[in-house]
Amino acid sequence: MKGIILKNERLNDKYRLMEIESPEFVQTAKPGQFVMVKTGLQDYLADPLLRRPFGLVDVRGNTFRLLYMLVGKGTRLMTESPAGSVIEFSSSLGNGFKSVKNQKVALVAGGVGIAPLLWIAKLLKDDGCSVTLYFGGRNQEDIILADEFRPHIDKLVITTDDGSVGDKALVTVPFGQDVKGFDRVYACGPKRMLEAVSGICVKGGVPVDVSLDERMACGMGACLGCIIYVREGEETVQKRCCVEGPVFDGSKVVWESVCR
Amino acid sequence: MSVLKVNICGVEFKNPVITASGTFGYGLEYARFIDISKLGGISVKGISYNEVKGNPMPRIMETTSGMLNAIGLQNVGVHKFLKEKLPLLRKYDTRVIVNFWGKTIEEYVQVAEVLDNADVDMLEMNISCPNVKEGGIAFGSDPSMTAKVVSECRKAISNKPLLVKLSPNVTDIKPFAKACEDSGADGISAINTLLGMAVNIHTRKPYISNVTGGLSGPAIKPVAVRMVHEVSKVVKIPIIGMGGIIRWEDAAEFFLVGASAVQVGTANFVDPELTLKIVDGLEKYAESQGLSNISELTGKVDLSK
Ligand SMILES: Cc1cc2nc3c(=O)[nH]c(=O)nc-3n(C[C@H](O)[C@H](O)[C@H](O)COP(=O)(O)OP(=O)(O)OC[C@H]3O[C@@H](n4cnc5c(N)ncnc54)[C@H](O)[C@@H]3O)c2cc1C
Ligand SMILES: Cc1cc2nc3c(=O)[nH]c(=O)nc-3n(C[C@H](O)[C@H](O)[C@H](O)COP(=O)(O)O)c2cc1C
Ligand code: FES
Repeated sequence: MKGIILKNERLNDKYRLMEIESPEFVQTAKPGQFVMVKTGLQDYLADPLLRRPFGLVDVRGNTFRLLYMLVGKGTRLMTESPAGSVIEFSSSLGNGFKSVKNQKVALVAGGVGIAPLLWIAKLLKDDGCSVTLYFGGRNQEDIILADEFRPHIDKLVITTDDGSVGDKALVTVPFGQDVKGFDRVYACGPKRMLEAVSGICVKGGVPVDVSLDERMACGMGACLGCIIYVREGEETVQKRCCVEGPVFDGSKVVWESVCR
Repeated sequence: MSVLKVNICGVEFKNPVITASGTFGYGLEYARFIDISKLGGISVKGISYNEVKGNPMPRIMETTSGMLNAIGLQNVGVHKFLKEKLPLLRKYDTRVIVNFWGKTIEEYVQVAEVLDNADVDMLEMNISCPNVKEGGIAFGSDPSMTAKVVSECRKAISNKPLLVKLSPNVTDIKPFAKACEDSGADGISAINTLLGMAVNIHTRKPYISNVTGGLSGPAIKPVAVRMVHEVSKVVKIPIIGMGGIIRWEDAAEFFLVGASAVQVGTANFVDPELTLKIVDGLEKYAESQGLSNISELTGKVDLSK
């Protein structure tokens, strides 16, 4: 699919927010899904070769948004794609988050893991849930989009490693203290954080869904490059992060096999 | 599109563009995204007798104009493939090539015997995967072993044409191609991935848990073109050329050095529609060159000074 970049906004040195117009794409997209993106600057013969996976921030009218962190050559090229230029991407991929009604829900985000949580926050709120967002980052730079969340959440708890905004703590500390008050948890962020959040939820007896970022080549289930391991009863089974995920039951993920 | 119709080892393909093993799953993964009936054929993920879980993660890493993979030939095993995957794949109007392998000669023969009676169009023996310690690479890196495993499989296969897929990880590919032809192969597939490695300079660890992986994508195309050219000089059986094809121009190059059809691998990850664009591009090219059939291009490289 193709779309037109309406905005490619610099949030700070580390993050950008891209808004893309594509009437075709928005019809099928669901919260928690992702897209494989290729900028117009990526020539088939030049680098980088593969498309890059990004979670959907939200869909508004005919547009959708991506929040991206500058990592390497693919994301660098995305910064160089100006408003008005064309961008290519896959249809919306993977299984997303499922909304629930009238429950007490916690969202736990680490850094860029905030990206796929905005849309589900909106849905949860519309479905009568009370929503608390626990948002952790290294420093102030990582605390992005928080203002956009405010209308859709009841409470916001921010932590940073250096205390530059919110409490100086890991996000798992305040979340761990409150966990028993929730019916359900959705989390996205670094794997170590997701492992800790899942551990806390299992102990507290609260169901937890985590969104995992495995390295992906195809994004559509063919290459088997994105395998993660989950427990099904007594067995440990393989799942493709791109097709059976990226959202998995955090209590079932075999963290030793995915954490590196 | 008769200009693109080709006959490989007695099997007619509507066009010479086939998706390469391991890069197109069991075909079904892509059916949601493109019309797979427009493909000449599909070579499915390498099948073994028993299910194989593959290597630990991470298994893939992008490199300059290419990628490394060490999937480890993960597959559902031949019986599950025939029961759960093949019937669905056969609903599409495209040729099905089954890529297969074993850890021992006995295992190669075991899976070949089952496939010989299955509803598939062609078999492709993989004797060249760099990512499995047993079998795989051993058969593809010693011409006498190649001859042995190919002739044993040949005895087990009487209903299907047999392709043998060669490893590029040898100093001279010619004796291997010759050994295949002499041992009863009906055609050659070339090439598989090149053994490679990439290291993270910050952690000082290899990016792939297996340490090394198979390099594919545009980065390997010149090596692949050279090897198909060399193979074409020593065998008379048809060659299916592959390695780094991403545009129709790349495919045309393989024809010129001796290929009768091509397989497209990593390009499926880059954009699932590229194979269809290659089909269109080749058709226009063949017509613009005044060919009545694309096969007239095979081996027509001009080496005169
Ligand atoms: C389902 C999913 C959703 C994601 N959502 C977002 C998002 O909303 N915002 C965001 O900023 N990032 C997201 N990521 C991570 C993002 O894909 C990588 O940061 C990005 O691919 C890096 O590309 P690069 O070319 O800049 O980096 P390079 O270092 O040049 O990348 C080299 C290779 O590693 C892969 N890679 C590198 N880092 C990651 C990573 N963390 N996860 C997966 N693959 C990686 C690349 O895709 C590429 O194949 C997501 C990843 C997945 C799997
Ligand atoms: C992820 C991946 C998995 C592969 N798995 C197989 C396989 O199971 N059997 C096989 O014969 N070749 C396998 N290959 C090799 C390809 O079929 C092809 O020979 C190679 O990638 C070169 O072509 P390309 O550059 O177009 O990808 C695999 C390649 C990749 C990238
Ligand atoms: S990225 Fe290829 S199977 Fe998931």
